[in-house]
Amino acid sequence: MIEVKNITKTYGKKNNLFTALKDVSLTIPDGASVAILGKSGSGKSTLMHALSGLDRPQQGQVVIDGQDILTLKEKAVDRFRANKIGFIFQSFFVTGSETTSENISLPLEIATVPRRDRKQRIADALSAVELSDKATSKARNLSGGQKQRLAIARAIVNNPRIIFADEPTGNLDSATSEKIEKLLFDYNKNKGVTLIIVTHDPELAAKCGMIVTIKDGAVESVRQR
Amino acid sequence: MNVSDIFLRAGRNLRESKARTILTALAIAVGATTITVAMAAGNGGRAYTNEMVQTSGDAYSLNVYPKPEASAQKTETGLPEYGVVEEEAAQVSGLLAERDIKEIRGLEGVKSISPMLNITPEYATRGEGEKKLVAPLSIKADRTKIDLAAGALTDNMPQASQVIVPEGYLASFGFASAQEAIGQKLLINIPQYSTAGVPTGEAQNFELTIAAVDRQSNTNLYYSEALRVSTQDSEKMYAYQRGEETVNRYYGLVVLADQGADISVLQQQIRDRGYDVYSLEDQREQLLQMIDIAQWGLIGFGALAVIASIFGIINTQYISVLERTQQIGLMKAVGASRRDVARLFRYEAAWVGLLGGVIGVLIGYLVTLLNPVIASSLALESGTELLRIDWLASVGLVIGLMVVSIVSGYFPSRKAAKLDPIEALRTE
Repeated sequence: MIEVKNITKTYGKKNNLFTALKDVSLTIPDGASVAILGKSGSGKSTLMHALSGLDRPQQGQVVIDGQDILTLKEKAVDRFRANKIGFIFQSFFVTGSETTSENISLPLEIATVPRRDRKQRIADALSAVELSDKATSKARNLSGGQKQRLAIARAIVNNPRIIFADEPTGNLDSATSEKIEKLLFDYNKNKGVTLIIVTHDPELAAKCGMIVTIKDGAVESVRQR
Repeated sequence: MNVSDIFLRAGRNLRESKARTILTALAIAVGATTITVAMAAGNGGRAYTNEMVQTSGDAYSLNVYPKPEASAQKTETGLPEYGVVEEEAAQVSGLLAERDIKEIRGLEGVKSISPMLNITPEYATRGEGEKKLVAPLSIKADRTKIDLAAGALTDNMPQASQVIVPEGYLASFGFASAQEAIGQKLLINIPQYSTAGVPTGEAQNFELTIAAVDRQSNTNLYYSEALRVSTQDSEKMYAYQRGEETVNRYYGLVVLADQGADISVLQQQIRDRGYDVYSLEDQREQLLQMIDIAQWGLIGFGALAVIASIFGIINTQYISVLERTQQIGLMKAVGASRRDVARLFRYEAAWVGLLGGVIGVLIGYLVTLLNPVIASSLALESGTELLRIDWLASVGLVIGLMVVSIVSGYFPSRKAAKLDPIEALRTE
């Protein structure tokens, strides 16, 4: 369970002070599929960064599985991300010079998974996103949809508890988008992993079980489906 | 992250930008080559010097002379009074006597002492009725290595009744080859002098056997052609030539030390007793010192080149950090710690240092293949190696360059480690 309690995040000082998040509170149950919906600049990305420990709000608490991650030291937050969180981005951020296997191996290396276990887990992740035949291809030779599938494989390889997807279909055509969405929602249902999608697209948001609308750094509405 | 994983990733990243990696490494290689060649030259120079010293003189022999001023400065209160003979005076009028020999013989490590005798032969001949030839005579009183064309010696010294003939004299004496001369007889005619140094008209033939034929070698600094006789024979010849009265006065002594004795300690002991002492060790040390100075000068230039290449590494690494901002951001988002990221860049620098060092040592090795060319252009004996690679030191050099590279990768790696993942992953 993720409990966000009264977090406030500001940037800049004095005259240039900008409040990205204003007193945001939120509860996300385990295994939920959540859309954080909002326009560009609404603070939805900042909220995602706060939830994943990449950013530190000045006030409030982010309690994940009973632990307030804002009180943790930097190294502990790194470990928390390595072991419990997977990321998917709009622009994929796969390393083109590496093979798909090497890309997927990164989270395992960071989490210091023993070398003998890696091969099997990489193979499992590749088959989950139907990229087994591309195991030794350079990532730069993949199509956009394949790159995003690779990113999903990289996000799930270390069996995370929460997956953050930041505009996962923003750079893809509608047919490919559907495939990616299906992959994410299926994984969410089958593995009981919490899926948090950050998007400005109401259509994509409508497919989630819970829709949190953000406007000007504050929660406008929370709808359950 | 595990060290091995980071190391492999670092290597992979470098392979991705091959041209840049190799160019940066080559900058280091310039310095590494200079240092390698400097070390090889120092190494070869020292070895050559040692060889040269070995063939130029006996490391365990000391030449002892009286101090020139010794007789005049003997009394501290003024000039010695006429008619009062000081019994203490061991050194008389710039010559050494039996007393001196006894004093030195008592020192630890002294094996034998032979006086330097000035013998003037009349001529040398192979026998009655043969050609009489004028040849200089020298006494082989030390174990200095000599290059033999034929024959054999024990301890590089002739025994009693033996003589060593230079290769250049063979034709004059009528020998067809060096081998033919071995075992042949040689008569040396010694004239007798009166105490005033005037020939008395008497002379005696000393019959010797040719034990070896020697020749000039490249490394011998002081070679001169002469008939070389043993100390035993020289004493007999000197006694005959000069008569008993002057026999016990010598202008110098050759002191042979025991093999393995500390020659510098013995030298100092003899010096402390008021003699001038010269050893080959002194000259060897001077030569080695010069080689060391030259070597360190060259290493200094190599070090300058390495320092210049450090800026190349820093620059390249900074560019690399900027280029891979997103990759670093992703690594941090996925949970890589600052230390992991910093290490990745430091190890990339280490790889560059390793590559540069290995290339430099290999080029240095290729330079040593020019040894025959160097030897022939300096007119040295073929097979002389003036450049000798010290492989152990080369490994040390490569490791040192890796350390230098890691240190110079410090600032870029810190920049990478401090990168804010949110900024790095911003797409807009």
